Amino acid sequence: MGERTIDIRTVAVLALVGALVFAVPLLTADRYLLKVLTFVGINVIIITGMALLFGYAGQVSLGHAAFYGIGAYTSAYVVTSLGWPWLGGVALAVAVTSVGGLLLALPSLRLKGHYLAMATLGFGEIMRVVFVEARGITGGPDGFSGIPFASVGGLAIDSAGANYWLIWGVAAAMLALAANLVRSRAGRAMRALHGSELGALACGIDLTGLKVRVFVISAALAGLAGALYAHVVGFISPSTFSLHASVVLVAMAVLGGTRSLAGPVLAAALLTLIPFADAVIPGLSRSALETIQEWQEDIYGLTIIAVLLFVPGGVAGALRRLSRVGRRWG
Amino acid sequence: MSLLEVRSVSKQFGGLTAVDDVSFDVFEGAIKAVIGPNGAGKTTLFNILTAFDRPDEGRVSFDGTDIVGQPPQRIVRAGIARTFQNTQLFEEMSTHENVMAGAHAVTRAGFFGAALRLPWTVREEREVAEEARRLLRLVGLEEWADTPAADLPHGLRRLLEIARALATRPRLLLLDEPAAGLNTAETASLADALYRIRDRGTTILIVEHDMGLVMEVSDEIVVLDRGAKIAEGPPRLIQKDPAVIAAYLGEEDLDEL
Repeated sequence: MGERTIDIRTVAVLALVGALVFAVPLLTADRYLLKVLTFVGINVIIITGMALLFGYAGQVSLGHAAFYGIGAYTSAYVVTSLGWPWLGGVALAVAVTSVGGLLLALPSLRLKGHYLAMATLGFGEIMRVVFVEARGITGGPDGFSGIPFASVGGLAIDSAGANYWLIWGVAAAMLALAANLVRSRAGRAMRALHGSELGALACGIDLTGLKVRVFVISAALAGLAGALYAHVVGFISPSTFSLHASVVLVAMAVLGGTRSLAGPVLAAALLTLIPFADAVIPGLSRSALETIQEWQEDIYGLTIIAVLLFVPGGVAGALRRLSRVGRRWG
Repeated sequence: MSLLEVRSVSKQFGGLTAVDDVSFDVFEGAIKAVIGPNGAGKTTLFNILTAFDRPDEGRVSFDGTDIVGQPPQRIVRAGIARTFQNTQLFEEMSTHENVMAGAHAVTRAGFFGAALRLPWTVREEREVAEEARRLLRLVGLEEWADTPAADLPHGLRRLLEIARALATRPRLLLLDEPAAGLNTAETASLADALYRIRDRGTTILIVEHDMGLVMEVSDEIVVLDRGAKIAEGPPRLIQKDPAVIAAYLGEEDLDEL
């Protein structure tokens, strides 16, 4: 069955990684480190959707930060200003971004070519302006503050460790669902669409319907991540949801490689950690960190160029070669 | 019984008439062929019959239902499957997965069912995998099941595309120049596969340039020249038809081919 089979070694590696990820709050009380790793978890949720959209369905979105933002502001507004429960805010954020994704994808995916990329670029810019100008809801350029922590029933998730577990729990669940999806009829259809559109048509695959569905899922995941983010940090502002953020998301997906979830997840972790290098590298000097942060964009750019030139298939390609070598020596 | 009815189909590109008032029937259980010299309008006709293109005039009905203007995925669901002159395989997927992808139209697992691995989707997935193995055996590709399509020898790629088309459980299989680029041995094994497919109850329509294959396997042949039908009948008669010899082969004698 080729790559469809999950062998025992993969299961062991996944179990080990999973155990390590969930043990972090038990091993450290460093709140800064936990917060940074929580950001990684949030980006993992977004990148799961991007991996499906870019890596499996072959579609490019330059506006996913807008969905991230819509999710964040939606939940922030209804929970903070209208007094909705946290879970209701998150659910509404997912619903709103799903509908938004559908409305954006339907017209642009009916057309052939790069209309989706252009439409998402335009959409991202429109939303950036909305986030700044719709002061009544978003707080304008000054941002939206005082967003409460997540809470379910009477249980408040207000410590760094609890937030870490919440985010990584959701991220793991979304990854598991996506992993099932790509190994199914739908995942096969996505890879087929990526491989040959004519061939996919001959298999009776509804190309537009499939692309729209994947886009909606990726928008909903970005919305979910945004809602979670808002309650983790308590303060959101338009700059977080700019075109720049969308481009970084595309960079993570490209760096991660196609037809893979693990690749983009690792790439997302790597790129998320770069500006917070001091959290994971003990003893990193203040000036070194500042240099990294100042050169952040260039580091991203150079990393991507280097990977595209020297690591075929991105992180996913490297992982595949590694697993082949492991099998030979194991 | 007529499975596919083609009635007065015409198609123009600019001033050029690619298909000119063509009518014929494909009867259930038959192997039928459409032949003609290069530029005779074979590929245009083929694309019309599979709804990848629409005619300017005329009607195509499959099992009594008009199929003109319907989206290709609905045609596939109705029971018409096709292959391509330039194979359109999913190169990065294994041979087995390519055939499984062909079962898309006849399976139901959706995004949610699959993401949650509901028991019925797991069962459906297992059935699709088994069916795909059977089809690989039918076309003689079972040894290549785990090979990525990109690594498949050229002569076997057509067979894989046929297996993938069969996974849609078609009543009518349309093959676009299936023998192009195949050597004699490969053409012979293709012919064997076509007989096996017909014997399973699938009607076959071949659009072909290669006379050897067509003369051997077809029950009936339609000959096109410059878009128009100039002859129709069993291979024996077509071979002797003066209009066919004149238009299709010029000075050459059909018997020599």
